[in-house]
Amino acid sequence: MSDRRLMRSLRTAFGVRRSPLRHGASWLDENLGGGSKLLRDELRHIFPDSWAFFLGEIALYCFILLVVTGIYLALFFHASQAMVVYHGSYQPLVGVPMSDAYSSVLDLSLDVRAGLLARQVHHWAALVFVGALMIHLLRMLFTGAYRRPRRLNWVVGLSLLFLVGFNGLMGYSLPDDLLSGTGLRIAYSITESIPFLGPTMASLMFGGQFPTSGIIARIYPVHIFLLPAGIAGLLGLHMGMLWLQRHTEFPGPGRDDRTVVGTPMVPAYALRTTGYLMLVAGVLTAFGGLLQINPVWLYGPYTPWDSTTSAQPDWYMGWLEGAVRMMPAWDIQIGSFLLPAVFWPAVVLPGLIFTPLFLWPWLDGMALRDHGFYNVLTLPSERPGRAAIGAGFVTFLSVLLVAGGDDVFASAFGLSLPVLLRTLQVLFFVAPPLVALFTYLVFRRRSQRWLATGR
Amino acid sequence: MAGLEVEDGEALSDPETGTHGAPPVPGGGSPPPARGGGLPPGWPAAIGLLATVVGSAGFVVAFVTNAGTAWLGGSLAVALLGLGAALAYWGRDLAGDEVISGPYPVPHDDAPGAAELGGDLEQSLGVITRRGALAKFLVFGAVVFALSQAVILGALGPWPGRSLFVTAWRPGRRLVTIDGEPVTRDVLARGGTLVAFPEGYTDAADSQIALFHFFGGEFKPQPGRETWSPEGFVAYSRICTHVGCAVSQYLDEAKVLACPCHQSTFDLLDGARPVSGPAGRSLPQLPLAIDSEGYLVAQSDFTEPVGPGFWDAG
Repeated sequence: MSDRRLMRSLRTAFGVRRSPLRHGASWLDENLGGGSKLLRDELRHIFPDSWAFFLGEIALYCFILLVVTGIYLALFFHASQAMVVYHGSYQPLVGVPMSDAYSSVLDLSLDVRAGLLARQVHHWAALVFVGALMIHLLRMLFTGAYRRPRRLNWVVGLSLLFLVGFNGLMGYSLPDDLLSGTGLRIAYSITESIPFLGPTMASLMFGGQFPTSGIIARIYPVHIFLLPAGIAGLLGLHMGMLWLQRHTEFPGPGRDDRTVVGTPMVPAYALRTTGYLMLVAGVLTAFGGLLQINPVWLYGPYTPWDSTTSAQPDWYMGWLEGAVRMMPAWDIQIGSFLLPAVFWPAVVLPGLIFTPLFLWPWLDGMALRDHGFYNVLTLPSERPGRAAIGAGFVTFLSVLLVAGGDDVFASAFGLSLPVLLRTLQVLFFVAPPLVALFTYLVFRRRSQRWLATGR
Repeated sequence: MAGLEVEDGEALSDPETGTHGAPPVPGGGSPPPARGGGLPPGWPAAIGLLATVVGSAGFVVAFVTNAGTAWLGGSLAVALLGLGAALAYWGRDLAGDEVISGPYPVPHDDAPGAAELGGDLEQSLGVITRRGALAKFLVFGAVVFALSQAVILGALGPWPGRSLFVTAWRPGRRLVTIDGEPVTRDVLARGGTLVAFPEGYTDAADSQIALFHFFGGEFKPQPGRETWSPEGFVAYSRICTHVGCAVSQYLDEAKVLACPCHQSTFDLLDGARPVSGPAGRSLPQLPLAIDSEGYLVAQSDFTEPVGPGFWDAG
């Protein structure tokens, strides 16, 4: 009653024929004071338009979907390794002792309404999230988008990739099924392999010698709070910088390093991107509803005395798995000390990959002796070197990814595993430079033709 | 930062700098005059919104009737895709032809005389930077404080100490199956294998062993281990020396034990030496004995650390 009276008096005060939109906006005007001027100016914020800019949006929308589905899952998940006996609706495991965590994942998958949908959408969204980030990163790499003034934002984006991949690993570990426990066992052993500090680091991280009874309870807040908060913060920083600096743009008429050309945020961009959010959510929901992923009830609970064939990590960890599989068995004995072979592929190699990636904008600037400000992107034919390095990098990761599933590929194509492994070991060194050289020659020829004929 | 936004915003909203690029696309932008019999403009958006309504209703029905995951996901996907398609169409085809341009923010060193963050900060923080020694002490104090907080890490877990070097095996401790049944010389026929634990420690992951009973003469003990395999009973640690998976596959023909995680294989007749794959060290062997009642027992703990390698395991 009083609400309606208030509305009536407000309408009288502001003139009767105001639209609800206008009405809400003037409420904001009054309550934000001068702040609403900022909003008003940003209505015309210019967004250059290209399919390539959709990649980052996919990643952002995956994060939103992960938060939404993750909240639903958190309502039903028990982060406890207390032993319980399963009495749910999945007959093959009835009466089997298992951790409360695994039992709760079975319940939320098979007995909670829309629980499996939420879990599968969550998993698919995580897989697509990392994929979108990686392709987004490659797009940056191929078009020189990381140059000044966006060097810092490159670092923020790469840190995001790092945190997102790590949180994916944490999520994979939570259900406490056979695969997730095996993954944790491997993570523990890799940490242990670090010279001098390894055993202590592993013990501090896991709360003792593997397997520990509190690791799920420890991973849980990391997975649902610590890392998501970090990811949300970095996403905010990433987009805040993007907002201040405006988007880069591909070369085109009227566009130069001082002039940004695109559609205004309201209405075109806002409508479009909200539509994309819904489309991404729709596609991932269709995946989650129709495509089975990580059916943990088939794997059984984790026990330290079980292991399974064809066990695979999520795809974005495949490169690391491949590196671990390809590394020859070179445990090095130094006096009374031991340097396990796994240290090289699992600790040193990621460092060798990520360090130059983080420094890439500065390395690129030094190599080209060019530290200028750029807002217009380069095309691969303009900078064949960038394309070559990008293509070589993709090849390198692809060889590792294939090696991560070497047993699956060997049995699928009837190959001998040792022969396949040796081939991949050779390709690891040979393929990236060859592909880089080939890419360089192709794009250089194209740029020469363009210079000569304008086509 | 706020100043920057206002500055750019003003420039952007200035109609003088806004240029209208591409000409309106036929069929998009301002609705074309109605043609007799044609579909009204925006009909794809209407279809999308219809799908949203139908999909939403379908989701509610599916949820209430507890239909399967495919129904729930399918109806929800239809609703989301419909809404997304409608909005994207609206943004792209009904409003997407308005192209404007504006200036990029200009970095300070490109615009002489422009305000510079460093200069402003120097002026504002002069109260600190003017006192050089005190300012350095401030930095030092802050760093000492930050480093001191590292002790908190110590609460996260025990120091490993000797824990990685010992398992639950002790001299005379019996071998039992996972169900706690003691293993006698009669339990395991020649050619067979089973998983065993120390009696009373069937949950001790680091103590699990693979027990084999080889035929006479089949197994040649390693030098120095002649007394470890009474009557052809041989026990190896079941934790892979690569990254610690259970070495659970016994390939009877080849007499090798294989790890399913990364395909390392260990030759059981040659001291469980790694023969292929990424594992670099043999599986440790447990010295066995058979007591007067016929029970299999350990002579001692393992003589080397079990499982994956670490720095002081050498």
